[in-house]
Amino acid sequence: MATHLDSSSWQPRIDIREFHYPNGLTLLVVPEHRLPIVSFQVHYGVGARHERQGITGISHLFEHLMFRGSKELGPEEFSRVIQAKGGEVNAFTSTDNTSYFENLPAEHLELAIRLEAERLQHLSLTEDNFAAEREVVRSERKLRTVDSPFGLPLEQLYSLAYTHHPYQWMVIGRDRDLQTLTLADCLEYHRLHYTAANIVITVAGDVDPETARTLVEKYFGSLPASPRPPDTATPEPPQRGERRAVYKKVSQVEAFLAGFHIPPLKDPDIYAILLLSGVLGMGKASRFHQRFVRPGKAIEIDVESTPPPFTSQDPGLLLILGVAAPGQDLAALEQETWEEIDQIRTRGVSPEELARVKKLYKSQFVRVMANNFYRGLLAGLFRVKTGETDLVNQILENYARVTPTDLQAVARRYLSPDNRSVVIIQPVSQEENAALGEVC
Amino acid sequence: MGNRPADHFIPEIYHHELAPGLRVVGMEYDRVPWVSLTCMIKRGAETAPAGKEGVADLTAELLTLGTARRDQLELALETESRGASLTAHARWDHTTITIEGLAEDYEDLLALLAEVVLQPGFPEGEFALLQERRQAELIHLRDDPREMANRCYFRLFFGDSPYGRPVNGDLESVAALTLTDLKEWYRAQCQPVAATLAVVGMVPRDRVVAAAQHRFGDWRPAGEPTPVYDAPPSRPGAPGIYLVDRPDLTQSEIRAGHLGLPRRHPDFFPLRLVNYVLGGGGFSSRLMARVRSDLGLTYGINSHFHFRRAPGPFIISTFTPAPHTAQVVSEIQAVMRELRQGGLTPEELANAQSYYVGHFPLGLETPGGLARQLVSIDLHDLERDYLNTYRHRLQAVTLEQAQAAARAHLHPDDLVILVYGPAAVCQGDLEKLGAVTLLPL
Repeated sequence: MATHLDSSSWQPRIDIREFHYPNGLTLLVVPEHRLPIVSFQVHYGVGARHERQGITGISHLFEHLMFRGSKELGPEEFSRVIQAKGGEVNAFTSTDNTSYFENLPAEHLELAIRLEAERLQHLSLTEDNFAAEREVVRSERKLRTVDSPFGLPLEQLYSLAYTHHPYQWMVIGRDRDLQTLTLADCLEYHRLHYTAANIVITVAGDVDPETARTLVEKYFGSLPASPRPPDTATPEPPQRGERRAVYKKVSQVEAFLAGFHIPPLKDPDIYAILLLSGVLGMGKASRFHQRFVRPGKAIEIDVESTPPPFTSQDPGLLLILGVAAPGQDLAALEQETWEEIDQIRTRGVSPEELARVKKLYKSQFVRVMANNFYRGLLAGLFRVKTGETDLVNQILENYARVTPTDLQAVARRYLSPDNRSVVIIQPVSQEENAALGEVC
Repeated sequence: MGNRPADHFIPEIYHHELAPGLRVVGMEYDRVPWVSLTCMIKRGAETAPAGKEGVADLTAELLTLGTARRDQLELALETESRGASLTAHARWDHTTITIEGLAEDYEDLLALLAEVVLQPGFPEGEFALLQERRQAELIHLRDDPREMANRCYFRLFFGDSPYGRPVNGDLESVAALTLTDLKEWYRAQCQPVAATLAVVGMVPRDRVVAAAQHRFGDWRPAGEPTPVYDAPPSRPGAPGIYLVDRPDLTQSEIRAGHLGLPRRHPDFFPLRLVNYVLGGGGFSSRLMARVRSDLGLTYGINSHFHFRRAPGPFIISTFTPAPHTAQVVSEIQAVMRELRQGGLTPEELANAQSYYVGHFPLGLETPGGLARQLVSIDLHDLERDYLNTYRHRLQAVTLEQAQAAARAHLHPDDLVILVYGPAAVCQGDLEKLGAVTLLPL
């Protein structure tokens, strides 16, 4: 058999070359030469956790503004130039980071590096294009939050679960803040957070590490050195008892959204928590599917805990969304959900259940490794969120070493009623909805 | 036009006849130890008898809920204990049953796929639960404005023609389905003469072929499937503005379109480029430039020709804060007219061509992406060297051909326009554009 088709010889380890520049910028190169393509990514260590009341949503709004023109390029011309070379251009903002990327033919890597550096250093915005982009973001908020089935209840859940930490608002921000933010606010935010020491660049794909190092030096090397901005996020105190709220909206279904505080990305418990969430809700053999979805008690019951490095930098939430099937009792669904969790807290899980979920996570990891974009993202996000790049090469080991006892321990520690916030989605008629006032 | 780009990285497609009419098509893949195995039945939702909409999709899912040898839980454990996933869906023109997992398990996964496809259990209890679950999902779907707008639009546009009827059915049709309907659909459509096995993975060709021969080689036809549907709709929806009132929404979902073309139409490549310039090219498209970048009226807008075996729809999709609804509809019409009348600029055409040509290798990264290409090539009987000639054929399109395609296939004055949003906010301004027909929710 040709060795390139021998799956037993494949190694999951990602080969990462790391470079540090005098101005504080970090470069990670993840070579892979099978296709003539490359993913160029610029990760800034700024997101919603760096915001404060009154300027919520500014990280994400600013991400949009980075496409609205520079000394060299007009509004959205950045995207058009990269696309004309066959590239994909996009960006995303999370609670902890803002990331810009271009996936493109390797021969055009220098163009992407040059343009990313140019817009960082020579952003050129006008009040008019700021105003237009603000409305674009408000439309995005209506799409993702206001008019979506569970967007506003989710917003309520976070503001219920967090009383101090900035995770209490969503990345998209509050509409009132979006309306009052000014261009000057955004430019000040840029000055404070878009600095060399706050940047991790990733180049993944068909590239020679030394070439990448030289090109990044050429275009980003002249950025002035400056310290990382101060970390202003207030830690969230432990929750001391269940919190509940009701959200009324026009809805065809009754549902509950629950969040349990869980540890941050760097905490080793996070792997056991992920596997626990898989035992509960991943796949058709999972406990929740067999108990609730298959017999028709729930339309869906999702357990969402994002795998590293997408896990939040500070203590986040493990989310459970339970949507009762029409005619089924939501209170009973919620109660049975807690009973199922209690069973794990008291009796633990079987080795077979754990083995199933470990294999599912392992295969998920193998699958995403096919993609340069994800290989780059895994390395870049670990680095920008934890300062430790090589955590990416410990993911499989970290899953492998978890035992059934660990699952029971994290269920006891984190999935307790006192650590839980719950929002009940209660359907109302169009008339009642109107009487409750406008949503925004 | 220059030399054709180097193509050393394009995977070779292999073909092997397993049984009369049944073939395996595949690609060897060496980036990660993964395998994607799809059994494609080249009949889909369009074959549903009237009143039985959803039968293909429910049949597909029921196949994954028990075989003659295993019940639903055993099947799920058999799959998931290997870290694999088993999914099945009907679409327009075809139905797929796919199992994906680690390459080291390919023989077991192929055996499971064969068991699911060839030895269905049709468990009665699971059918009843599936039917109930699907009805609940359809009720919940009403909370999703984007999906509801799409469903309304297809119904409005295609009426009772096959593409107007939802793939997953509606409440009435799903409630009316019986297990016998599903068994009958399986018996009629799941025939080897209308099936292809598509395999992409870190497994050598000879091993795939041997395993496929072993598991699928004895599959014999039990009749002829329904003839291929390739006709245009008998009575497409009349152009005009239609409104569905959803008072609780803050934005209007907007769909505007007309009849498009079948996949095998000779203008496929010119039209792909025209559509990139109109609304398929993200920030490089005129619709995005006008409606989002210049005016800030939406977060997103795109246009798409749905190329199917029969003529599919051409649709522009967007949303906007409800007070701007009529303005966005006007802008859509204006941008289409400008493109149809004024044509593309040479630079726009060149940028669209260089986008698709440069982007091509990005579509070859993942086994799933490659498997979708294989399915498409096989379903539409495209040339065996399609991947090798794809970029050349895009580059060969001239400005004149693109202009002619825009004139022939864009009809800005014959748009069927659907607005799904709060009538109290947007109806008045829409009526200034033309008569508005209110549709029931």
